[in-house]
Amino acid sequence: MYRYIIRRILLMIPTLVGVAILVFVLMRLLPGDIVEMRLASEGAYVSEETLDKERARLGLDKPIWQQFVNWMWGICRLDLGESMWTGQPITYEIGIRFQVSLQVAVMSTIIAVILAIPLGMIAALKQDTWVDYAIRIFSIAGLATPSFWLGIMIILAFLIFFTWAPPMVFTPIWVDPVANLSQLIWPALATGYRYSAVATRMTRSTVLEVLREDYIRTARAKGLWEKLILVRHALKNAMLPVITVIGLEFAFLIGGLVVTEQVFNLNGIGKLFVDAVGNKDYTLVQGLVLMVAFVFTITNLVVDILYAWLDPRIRYQ
Amino acid sequence: MAVDRQILEPSTPNHLAETKRSKWKQAVFRFIRYKPLGTVGAAIVLFMILVAVSAEVISPYDPLETDYINMFTPPDFTHWLGTDAFGRDIMSRIIYGSRTAMLVGFTAAFIGATLGLFIGVASAYFGGRIDLLVQRLLDIFMSFPLIILALSVVAIFGTGTEKVIMAITVPLVPRCARVVRSSALAIREIPYVDAARACGFTHWRIIVRHMLPNVVAPYLIMLTAFQGQAILLEASLSFLGLGVQEPTPAWGLMLQGGAEEYAESAPWMAIFPGLAISIAVFAFNVFGDSLRDVLDPRLRGAK
Repeated sequence: MYRYIIRRILLMIPTLVGVAILVFVLMRLLPGDIVEMRLASEGAYVSEETLDKERARLGLDKPIWQQFVNWMWGICRLDLGESMWTGQPITYEIGIRFQVSLQVAVMSTIIAVILAIPLGMIAALKQDTWVDYAIRIFSIAGLATPSFWLGIMIILAFLIFFTWAPPMVFTPIWVDPVANLSQLIWPALATGYRYSAVATRMTRSTVLEVLREDYIRTARAKGLWEKLILVRHALKNAMLPVITVIGLEFAFLIGGLVVTEQVFNLNGIGKLFVDAVGNKDYTLVQGLVLMVAFVFTITNLVVDILYAWLDPRIRYQ
Repeated sequence: MAVDRQILEPSTPNHLAETKRSKWKQAVFRFIRYKPLGTVGAAIVLFMILVAVSAEVISPYDPLETDYINMFTPPDFTHWLGTDAFGRDIMSRIIYGSRTAMLVGFTAAFIGATLGLFIGVASAYFGGRIDLLVQRLLDIFMSFPLIILALSVVAIFGTGTEKVIMAITVPLVPRCARVVRSSALAIREIPYVDAARACGFTHWRIIVRHMLPNVVAPYLIMLTAFQGQAILLEASLSFLGLGVQEPTPAWGLMLQGGAEEYAESAPWMAIFPGLAISIAVFAFNVFGDSLRDVLDPRLRGAK
């Protein structure tokens, strides 16, 4: 097991370095130079002197390999540089917004799991009946509905029927748990629906597969109580791929949050990212893309390890 | 079955054409019979293509025409789906928006899947160190969620229809390449590839003539699956103001254009464009799923 974990971590390093190189190269692909784009793109006159000063501040006057080494060294010290828009350190900008996004992500995961496992299980047990069709359409619709539109519809419904608008200011959970939860449950629902759709489909297909296994027939043959077969034998074995999907989708949530936070006016990582792209804040975009890719890769690693821990066949391959 | 008939019966070119046609007819018939949901999806897709092509003919108003007397008109007989903040007819904008969605969706999915097809097959064909290198590169691209990579491309190249197509294409390429490669790996082991090489054919010829035709199934599956994703991604980018730009009619853009601010006074502005997106993506998804089941059941679960 330890050897497996160590091997997986070692395999992750080239990917992470590659991601860092890609992000670094991406920002150098810009037509023109980022300082000019940032300061003089709207046609305003900016003196050469100001541009040079800004370049020096960002270290862009140095040769490209030195810029890369500096950047990598910064990453190792968890220093991603400064935002070109606010001038604050990027790690600070991310830090103050991380909590909101993380909480919404965790809440949507919980919603997804609560919805997906029973629904997928019922659909599999009632295969090809109207119940199965209804659940399948519900989940395919979840994949097709844009989460931002679902969010707009939720707000709309509240405004029309309850004249309630989502509060503009974020309340942390330790200040007022009720206000916090009632604020964040809706964005979590908007992102969680899509998430649950993916997990429902996965649960359904794996339960169907497991139900055809020999050990289920054996359990039935020896006269085990049907409910016990389902919970002990079927569900337990069907959970592996479901856990993988839940883990992978957790990493994808960052993508879903990009639009949902915009709708619900939440000042989280997703909104920061969109604002950074809109403001042409290249250093911030660079830092955020890198962070997202790292979170994504590490989530993948955790899922892999969890999988190997649950299924010994994998770690001995 | 078709092969038997060809052997038993005198195979004049006329006959061949007929068996080929009836084979197609049979396949379509089987699809309709066993995949009702997929057929509904296919019908909606066909309908949307028709709408997009004939937008000029069927849309009741000019989608760009502003009418300041009839702002925020609720749905009625003159404006079936109401009007927006500039008095523009929402139904006409949705009809023209289908053109944008189809254009962006189809172009991005086609370029993305085709590039992925070539990369995947070439990677499997050459194998060894090249394969390893390509795989690591794809890994790197796959470590960004779709929308994050698309947004990064937008950050670099800016907004606008062509740039949005590019932004959506980039994250799709590695996803198709990955799936195609795994199918191509199996084909590479079949002796006819070795035979082709023994004949002294060039790498290009072997890849295009001998390997590509055998990975058409996963390619087509990815192509349809990408359509839905591309439409959803375009809508998200446009909604964020980082995709297609005004005044081009686009579904995502219609939701951004004040839909939230006007939610209280003009809910139809937010409801209908979102429905259009959902139905379009739904149709492509169910059609793609059924196509996958029919063409290649082994790919079940592949996204």
